Parts: sequence; C-alpha cells; structure tokens
Amino acid sequence: MKDKLLVTPPPHVKSPKAVQGIMLDVVIALLPAAIAGAVLFGFRSLLIILASVASAVASEAIYQKAVKKQVTVNDFSAVITGLLMALTLPPDVPVWMPVIGSAFAIVIAKQVFGGLGYNFVNPALAARAFLLAAWPLHMTRDWLNPMTYEALSTATPLVGFNVTGQSGLTLTQMLLGQRPGSIGETCILALLLGGVYLIARDVIDYRIPVGYLGTLAVGTWIFGKPGALFQGDPLSGILLGGAFIGAFFMATDYVTSPVTPRGRLFMGIGAGLITLMIRLWGGYPEGVTYAILFMNLVTPLIDRYVVPRYYGSGHDAVARKAAGGETR
Amino acid sequence: MEILGMILAGVLINNFVFMQYLGLCPFLGVSKGLDMATGMSGAVIFVMTVASTVTAALEQFILKPLELEYLRTIAYILVIASFVQLVEIFMKKTLPGLYQALGIYLPLITTNCAVLGAAMLNVTKSYGIALGTLNGFAGAVGWSLAIIIFAGIRERWKLMDIPATLDGFPLALISTGLMSLAFLGFSGLFGNLLK
Amino acid sequence: MNENKTFLGYDFVKGFIKENPTFALAVGMCPTLAVTTSLVNGFWMGVAVIFVLTFSNVFVSLLRKFIPDEIRIPVFIILIATPVVIVELVMKAYLPAMYDILGIFVPLIVVNCIIIHRAEAFAYRNRVLNSAMDALGSGMAFTLNLMVIGAIREFLGTGQIAFGSAVFPKAPLFEPAAVMLTPPGGFITLGVLMALLNIAVARVSKRKTTQSQSG
Repeated sequence: MKDKLLVTPPPHVKSPKAVQGIMLDVVIALLPAAIAGAVLFGFRSLLIILASVASAVASEAIYQKAVKKQVTVNDFSAVITGLLMALTLPPDVPVWMPVIGSAFAIVIAKQVFGGLGYNFVNPALAARAFLLAAWPLHMTRDWLNPMTYEALSTATPLVGFNVTGQSGLTLTQMLLGQRPGSIGETCILALLLGGVYLIARDVIDYRIPVGYLGTLAVGTWIFGKPGALFQGDPLSGILLGGAFIGAFFMATDYVTSPVTPRGRLFMGIGAGLITLMIRLWGGYPEGVTYAILFMNLVTPLIDRYVVPRYYGSGHDAVARKAAGGETR
Repeated sequence: MEILGMILAGVLINNFVFMQYLGLCPFLGVSKGLDMATGMSGAVIFVMTVASTVTAALEQFILKPLELEYLRTIAYILVIASFVQLVEIFMKKTLPGLYQALGIYLPLITTNCAVLGAAMLNVTKSYGIALGTLNGFAGAVGWSLAIIIFAGIRERWKLMDIPATLDGFPLALISTGLMSLAFLGFSGLFGNLLK
Repeated sequence: MNENKTFLGYDFVKGFIKENPTFALAVGMCPTLAVTTSLVNGFWMGVAVIFVLTFSNVFVSLLRKFIPDEIRIPVFIILIATPVVIVELVMKAYLPAMYDILGIFVPLIVVNCIIIHRAEAFAYRNRVLNSAMDALGSGMAFTLNLMVIGAIREFLGTGQIAFGSAVFPKAPLFEPAAVMLTPPGGFITLGVLMALLNIAVARVSKRKTTQSQSG
C-alpha cells in the first residue's frame, strides 16, 4: 500500500491509549506555567484554574451523557482545555467566568462537532474570544500585581509597549513573569520548560512556535518603534503578552493546525503576522487569540493546497483527495 | 491609502458575512464544497462589483437629479436583476467556458442580499461611483473569503459522524458564530490610519 | 398549475410549524440575525415583513393567470418591491428611529427569500384567500421567531427586556454578556435554538412512533 505513509488532515482515528499519552504529556508540560501562575498571582489564580478545569470536565461528561455517547473525560483533553483557558485569563476575574468559558469551549467549540478531533478551532481560544466579547471590562482590567496580589486598574505592560516600543522591564522580570498579565502567560521560563519538553517528546512540531515567535520578533524589530523602522525591541515583543503560551500550547494543537511541515511553518508565520498587525494597528492590545483562531480557520485550506511534494505526479491527486474529500 | 484601507475594511474588518449579516443564504447553502464555493465567489465578485458601479451611476445621474430617491429600492433591484440576466446571456454567447464554470450560480445571485446590500450601503455612506465600485468589490472579496474558508472546514465534515439533530443549519450557524468570533479581532484595525 | 382548495385555517397554521420560515425552511437568515438584538427591533421588522408578504402574495395570486411563466420572477420582484417602498416611506415618516436601527434591512426585504419563496411556492398556484392566509401565517411566524430570538439576545446581552416603556426585570440579575448583541452571539444563539428544536421534534416523533407501534 503506497498510501500507508500518507499525511492526512484530521479527523484521525487514534487509539484511546495513544491520545491519553499525548494529552498527559501536555498536562505535564503545562504544570510549570500553572504553578508559576499560582505563585505569582496567589490563591485567586489557583481557584480560577480549578474552577475552569472542573467546569470543562463536568461539561464534557454531562454533554456526552446527555447525547448518550461514551464518556471520554479520562483522555485528559477536557482537562487541557480547562487548564489552557484558565491560564489565558486575568487573575482577578470573577470565578463564574472560567466556569462559563470552559462550558462554552467544551460544548459549543468542541462537542457539537463530534468531540476531540473534529473541532475546527482551538476550544480554549474560542472560549477566550467569547469571554472577551462578552465581558470586555473584566478581561482587560482584572489584573493583579505579581507577588503582592494587589488589584491593578491600569493596563498590562504590553499596552504601553505597543504605544512606545519600550517595555520598561528587565529581562529577568520578563523571564520570571514578574509583570501583570494573564495567569499563565507571564512566566516565560515555565512556558519554555513545558514547550521544550513537548518538542523533545515529539508531541509538538518546533516549526509552529519557531515560525510564530520568529515572525513576531522580526516584525517587532522592524515596526515596533513608533516613527522609526528597524529600531524595535524584538525580545520584549515576544516575551510580553501571550505569544509564548500561544505559540507553544495553542497554535500547536493537533486537530486545528496543519499536518505538513510546510503547512505548519505557514501557520506559525501567519499567526505571527496577524498578532503583530493587531498589536500595532488593531483595536485590541493583544492579538494572539485572534491570530491563532484565524489560522485555525484557514488550516483546512492550508492542508489542501500545501500538500507535500511526492516523487511522481499521481500521488499528488491521492493526497488532495485524502485532504479535501472528492474533487468534482 | 484610502483604497487599501477600503479593501481591508471590506475583506476583514466589516466582512459582509461575519460582521454585517449579508449574503447569509448562499453562504450557508453553497458552502458544502470548495469547487462550488470558488465558482460562486467568482460570480459574486464580478456581479457585485459591476452592480455597485451601475447602481451608483443610476443614483448619481437619474435618481438624484429627478428626485426619485424614494424609488431607489425598486430601481436598484430591477437593475440588478436585469443585469444578472444580461450577464448570463452575454456570457453564454461569448464566453462559454466561463459560463460553464459560473453560469449555474448566476440566477442565484439576484437573491443574494449582499449585492443589493452593497449598493444600499454605498448610498447610506454616500460613496460616489468610484468608491462605491471599490466598496462593492471589497465586500465581494470578503464574502468570497468567508465562503471559501467555510467550504474548507465543511469538506471535512463529510468524514464526520454528526447527529441528525445538529446536521445542516444548526452546526453551520454555530460554526459561523465561531468564525465571526475570530474575525472580531480585526475590528478597529487601522482605525487611526483610516479615518 | 394545480389549484389547491385547501382548508383556510391550515394555510394559516402551517407557517408556524411545518413550514416555519426560520426553523423549517431556513429562509430569510440575514434579517433574522441582523435585527434581533432586541425584542422590539424583531417586532417591527416582522410587522414590515407581514405587510410586504401579504401584499405580494395577494397580488401574485390575483395576477397568477396573467403572468407568463417565463418572466414570472421579474414580475414577482416588482410585486414585492412596491410594498417594500411603501413600508420604507411609512416607516421613515412615522418611526424614524426604528427606520434608522433597521437600516438597510428594510429595503433588503425585497430580496428576503421568504417572500419570493411564498410567491413561487404558494401564491402562484393558489387562490387569493388561501394566499393571504398563507402570507399572514408565514409572516406572523416569522415575526414570532424574530421576537423570541430578539428577546433571548436582549435579555442575555443587556440583562433586561424592554418593550416600549415596560422593562423586565427592573434591574439586571446578572452581568450581561455583550457578546450576545454581536454577530457571533447571534449566529450561535440561532444555531443552538435550531438544534434544541430539532431535538424536541425528534423526541416527539419518536414517542409517536413508539406509541403507534405499541397501539
């Protein structure tokens, strides 16, 4: 069978055990960021993480029970969705927000399409975009100061950085996450630890985070300083905001990212460009959520048109057929 | 700059489908396959661009001087309907190849409310003929982008096991909602440059 | 042309369930989503559609024996565009604020698939009285749909439902979710409503079949 090694887009049929193993790896990789978030922003952030995970798991179980499907909460995918969603929230949001957000992520963005492997947008990000549109004030104001846990009514450093091109933070502060921001986005070291673990375990493809952060860094270097070209601060551009957690943990989602190596590079570069565009010229301070969601939408098209080149021409048609259903 | 801004606005920021609720019937109906979606897109881009020019000219040279603006709706829809008919006849005779590709979509376009919608938006925003044409073109490209993205997503559904209660419109609408959530990110883009 | 001399009451009622414009036929999606940010907007849009639909159905039915088959669609369009212009002028004069809110969706009634669908599928083949009943039924069902969707979105999006000066509840009970007033909220609300309705219909028909089997 020459088709045996064909790379095809989802939905894939995987054995439950393999899924569970991969998902467990992702949970392990997210733990450092979650712990860092709990240390930096205190008990409240822990509460939000727990509420979010509990809501995600409960929503999945209730929905699957209601439609009489096999309950698959033990594959850890709902745990990841809940955890990821919580890590992208400001630490001082009311606790009902992660509960609603995770329920939205699981039911509307994932389960109605048939569950794991069939969703076309990253559920955690769709839920974050939903919460941002629903309660914009909470999502842009409920920040806490790291370590002191004081409420902060000003914007995060990224907002200032977008305007002035200067972060006002030291590299150590940025790496350790000592800045206001979403629960799991600030501690770069923890995210890097998890990301490297996932790449080493072959769970994610390095092309997406490298393409994403590389594009964002170059773009910030070129356009990041207002009124001048090629004088921006690329390092702050990728360390501030949610680019790291997005690049390593959201954009790399198997189901909603391209399958081919070239397609994955496209995904990373595209997400980097849109993030930059929204940050510098858009209506929102941060564009990571929308950039990855948009790339999720075009993933089927990338998979269809960026097919791997095979030796010989006949295979191309086979790949296309597999990628996009029959062509009429 | 204004030209670029207008195209960006039409395609991303004020996307007809995701932000303005225009052209939803064909968007939901003709998005089941990529070939159909691209065919329809070609037809819509052509018709909407020219229809915007024609209706803007009609407004400027006939309705406005004669103070017949209250007849706008009738005049526009008749012009659009007959224009679509004309295109169909003309294409059949002179461009049979293109007709084969786009012909079946042409009759459907009269009821695509995006075409009349674009013409009406041009009037409310009092764009002239040139800007109106550009706006119609940008809107059509945005509509096409939306339907092609959606068709790409929907083609995968052929392999899925969707419960009957969700199949068709319910799932299509929920997906459209999720897609427009992603497009919310473009709102306000280049706001300070465009105004 | 087959003349159906069906029961008038049925022609009225069928628009609500069997041929419900939104939930069974899925036509007229644009206004169904665009104007349903509140109950009142949905109501006035619905009233406009009832008028246009009744007008066009009655005239299509009256003239059905004189309209040549080949050019029926252009004739339908004129018979639809005329009442739309009347609605536009009346609304502009008496409800200018509502006219501004509904915006281009008032003139766009002319391309609303419901109206041409009823003209083609019903009025062109049926008698005047039946066609009028059909229009009233479909139109009122459409209005009811818009009001229900509008009420849901208004309640979740603002925390309250207002009709004229009556506001319920007096103070919002929860933090309203602004997303419900935006396009994503509209699409998702309608999608979820349709799914719930399908589930309800499937349950009822299942119960019926099991009853008939056991009986």
